[in-house]
Amino acid sequence: MTEEPMIRTVKLVKKFGHHEVLKGIDFEVQPSEVVVVVGPSGSGKSTLLRCINGLEHATGGHVYVEGVDITDHDTDINQVRQKLGMVFQDFNLFPHLTALGNVTLAPVRVKKVNEEDADRRGIELLDKVGLKEKADSYPAHLSGGQQQRVAIARAFAMDPDVMLFDEVTSALDPELVKEVLDTMKDLVREGMTMIVVTHEMGFAKEVGDRLVFMDEGEIVEEGEPAEVFTNPRNPRTREFFSKILTHM
Amino acid sequence: MKILWESMPYLLRGMWITIKLALVSEVCILVLGLLIALVRISKIRVFRFLAAVYIDVIRGIPLILQIVIIYFGLVHLGLNLDRFTSGVLALTICYAAYEAEIFRSGIESINKGQMEAARSLGMGYMKSMRFVILPQAIRRVIPPLSNEFIALLKDTALVSVIALAEAFQRSRELMGTLANLTPLVGVAICYLLLTIPLMRLVQYIEKRMARGD
Repeated sequence: MTEEPMIRTVKLVKKFGHHEVLKGIDFEVQPSEVVVVVGPSGSGKSTLLRCINGLEHATGGHVYVEGVDITDHDTDINQVRQKLGMVFQDFNLFPHLTALGNVTLAPVRVKKVNEEDADRRGIELLDKVGLKEKADSYPAHLSGGQQQRVAIARAFAMDPDVMLFDEVTSALDPELVKEVLDTMKDLVREGMTMIVVTHEMGFAKEVGDRLVFMDEGEIVEEGEPAEVFTNPRNPRTREFFSKILTHM
Repeated sequence: MKILWESMPYLLRGMWITIKLALVSEVCILVLGLLIALVRISKIRVFRFLAAVYIDVIRGIPLILQIVIIYFGLVHLGLNLDRFTSGVLALTICYAAYEAEIFRSGIESINKGQMEAARSLGMGYMKSMRFVILPQAIRRVIPPLSNEFIALLKDTALVSVIALAEAFQRSRELMGTLANLTPLVGVAICYLLLTIPLMRLVQYIEKRMARGD
């Protein structure tokens, strides 16, 4: 191992009360790698993502982002979070700001980019997600798919090194899923490092470099996506895929 | 009728003091109320506790008693504030406790995901509050805050206990000298001329916001 991984967790434990959601996760993501995390609901995959950017505090173990331990109290978490773009299941756009306002808020307030430059860059990013003409629209006037694409642009505006996607298509009507996945594929093509928690197995197979299957707070199996799909070794993985595949 | 007409100039000057009292207090109340609300939801337990105690104590004491305590208490401490300032101080201390609770409920009504989204972008807690949570929360609490302002406008009459010559105090003086109830009716009309349009305005804002949300 010569290169420091982008993300590394060591024996990461997260408890909510007495309930252990993550049971000592060892997990790594290399630069430009696209890791897809799947598993039944309650398996801890979203919690893992939220521990990586500190939205949940680890109960035990360590989380390193580009070598910096975010479980260390001296770490400036706001600094680290700028490297981690997060996209949420229910978009969480700021309803009092326009699409452009959503995208430029953090660059202006955190990175102190001047407003003109931020606006120019913001328009570029909205153009990239195909929503340039919606720059002045408020979230309430956008479809779910459009809102999620604005949210991707918003996260991307901070020039993150890693993008975290937390079931970003789960709240969308089926016909809107594709536009969001397409936007994500554009990012993959640019070499963005991504951790994608999802139920979209087609997406996992198509763009994932590695598939991680979680169940009951543990990583049960991981490997090359096509391999894990067609040839799951662990019985729990097999059971999970057989369940979803019958639904597909 | 004649008495009403003749007492009006004197009462209107009192009404002007009432309005000034209400407006100056309201500005102070909004600032202090918001601060107390932020302390009330802070992550530091001692701060939260102190704010909760403040709110409970203040809300548990009649306003008129607070006004008297503050005025005479400060005099006792050698701090000789004029009556207007004492009035503003008492109204602020009291109403800030109520409005802090309104601000708090407004802030807490904002979806948790908003704070998470802001924090995930690298914005600190205070920045997230200022640019994401408060703009939404404040919009939401405009109707209840407006109702509080109307209540405040009426409660300024209580400041008459420290003989500040606001509208109600003046009407009582006139009633005493003229041995006639008319000045009281006059001042009641003055209050209504202010409060009824304000109440209508609040209803209008509420309706518009109900449609907007």
